[in-house]
Amino acid sequence: MEIKIMKNILDRNQNKAAEVRSLLESKKVLMVNLISSPGAGKTTLLERTCEALGSKFRIGIIEGDITTDRDAQRLKKYNVPIVVINTEGGCHLDSHSISKVLGSFDLDSLDVLFVENVGNLICPSQFDLGETFKLALVSIAEGDDKPGKYPMLFREAKAVLLNKTDLIPYTNFNSDNFKSDLKRINAQIPLIEISCTRGEGIDKWIEWISDKIKISR
Amino acid sequence: MHEIKIAEDLSAIVLETAGRENLTKVTKVNISFGQLVQIVPDIFRFAFSETVRDSVAEGAEVNIEIVPVKMKCMNCGNDFQVAENRFTCNNCDSTDLSIISGKELFIKSIEGE
Repeated sequence: MEIKIMKNILDRNQNKAAEVRSLLESKKVLMVNLISSPGAGKTTLLERTCEALGSKFRIGIIEGDITTDRDAQRLKKYNVPIVVINTEGGCHLDSHSISKVLGSFDLDSLDVLFVENVGNLICPSQFDLGETFKLALVSIAEGDDKPGKYPMLFREAKAVLLNKTDLIPYTNFNSDNFKSDLKRINAQIPLIEISCTRGEGIDKWIEWISDKIKISR
Repeated sequence: MHEIKIAEDLSAIVLETAGRENLTKVTKVNISFGQLVQIVPDIFRFAFSETVRDSVAEGAEVNIEIVPVKMKCMNCGNDFQVAENRFTCNNCDSTDLSIISGKELFIKSIEGE
């Protein structure tokens, strides 16, 4: 006999994500789910962001890491509340792990919560954390073919940050190819080109994210 | 790798349903995956078979339907299937689109006795 079920396999994750989203909305906290490959510069982006925004907005950070708290250690000096989630081999965060750690933050005194997801372009795109939006970060050394290979992320993200632009002269990265590939997948997505080590373009990123934080307050 | 987590959540739904319906054997699981979710069917089947080992669903066939990516154009109302990752309306060239299908991770039914 056949038994009809007809439901989303990730219903449990989706329901918890909806709870997280409604809690954060009630507290007027913007949550950014930062997704990239390992080594694209997520932690360095958060360092630059804490430096530029730490005095203007109240920032919190959730560090998703397979193991170790190295990323969190790097961010300690900015004196923002940080919670580490070790996934113990898991390739992405999910809404239950986020929900569990939200209690460690005083949400009434936060404007923005950055979630550094586990470095991976596919798996984190499938799991709603209850974020306000996803942000895709890619870097020059990964090559110019990423949008076409990972269409889900580039469709779902609110913006794309292209990091390590200072490396362009030393690689075969073709900016036109990258941009046309991205345009094909998502012509409306904003692209912000940055170099977290040299500082170029960081002002544009700060302006963009500041607008989003202000809107959510 | 996300195949494993999705297989775990699927097996929880399958076993819960089988328990509720007093099935002694689950023979088939019918699911659909959208093309955008990039699930590798063979990896998924392997992950699922591991998560249901020593249960009533051990050995169940996993029947996967892949759902193409379809979009609705918000400018002209045209519904179209996305080919070669080209997310542009094939009628009016607008890129203001809304997704109709292609992101599914859906369980339709189970079969058993």
